[in-house]
Amino acid sequence: MLQLKNTFIGAFTILLAYYGGVYLSASLGLPIPGPLLGLVLLLSLLFAFPSIEKHTTLMAQPLLKHMSVLFVPAVLGVSVYWSDIEANAVALVLAIGGTTILSLGLTAWVASKLMKKKSV
Amino acid sequence: MIDAFLNTFTVNGLVWLFVTLCCYAISVKVNLFYKGHPLSHPLVLTVSLVGLALLLSNVSVPQYQQSASLLHWLLGPVTVALALPIFKQWQKLKHYGWRLFVSIAVGGVLAPLLAWFTLYTLGSPISLQLTILAKSITTPLAMEATAQIGGIPALAAVFVITTGIVGAVVSNTVFLLCRVTSPEAQGIALGTVAHAVGTAKAIHMGEEVTAMATLGLCINGLLTAFILPLLFSMVL
Repeated sequence: MLQLKNTFIGAFTILLAYYGGVYLSASLGLPIPGPLLGLVLLLSLLFAFPSIEKHTTLMAQPLLKHMSVLFVPAVLGVSVYWSDIEANAVALVLAIGGTTILSLGLTAWVASKLMKKKSV
Repeated sequence: MIDAFLNTFTVNGLVWLFVTLCCYAISVKVNLFYKGHPLSHPLVLTVSLVGLALLLSNVSVPQYQQSASLLHWLLGPVTVALALPIFKQWQKLKHYGWRLFVSIAVGGVLAPLLAWFTLYTLGSPISLQLTILAKSITTPLAMEATAQIGGIPALAAVFVITTGIVGAVVSNTVFLLCRVTSPEAQGIALGTVAHAVGTAKAIHMGEEVTAMATLGLCINGLLTAFILPLLFSMVL
């Protein structure tokens, strides 16, 4: 029962931050997406009231863990752009495959040089 | 949110929500069976299964999207929820300070620029060029950012997932070739370049790798989603 109540408090906090962010972004006409401002709001809330970490975790953890299922409607919408993908298949394979390998290697290399000087 | 709920609590809405969740549950089991191998990412299988169901029942994608709008709407709150992992890793973030930021910035700038340059030189349409800029950040943030700069969010989701799968599959070989053995560096590279799929891979490589991958995923996602729209609103 307490668990349920805490989950509700967590859900309420996340929704509060979400709508706060959406409202801020829309009313101030900012180019930054509303949910992103919501993220910053929630982070500030967590620093201001560290005790709500427990509540938000109850709601956020399952949401983050099963995030993939939320992309299903959007990804299915890609069928509309199928001709675009086909027409640019080679470029896309290079851009996604090739550069990902390159960036992964370079990032790891730079990070290992920088981190060597400060290990835990 | 009200719309999303109203669409969900109709017969069609509930049926498709149920179908999607069932397909997802099966996909998660399959993913577990293959010990979380990146190629068996649950999204790939779930989308195929739901797509098959749509084909068999003669329901169009826009109809499905309306029925399943609750799932799509939840992308907003899940973006907000990303604040939690940042909060939990705050001590690590403070410990590594600028070294961490510079490492993440290298990957965060390099990955989209290289990808964009490839498409630009090969003459792909501008909408694809804009969309690929967000390929290395976690899907909800990438969709928000591409919508903001005039790309195609649905394509962004596909690019992001593909990037993540490629990154997670090749990571061991790449780290071996580049002689990167430090768990911190491996984690940062995985999280920054291959976002959540890379982080899922990091879980199999140890706690230190996972913690750094989470930081890479969050910081790069946050910075890219902030900077891209700002940059474009100034230029255009």
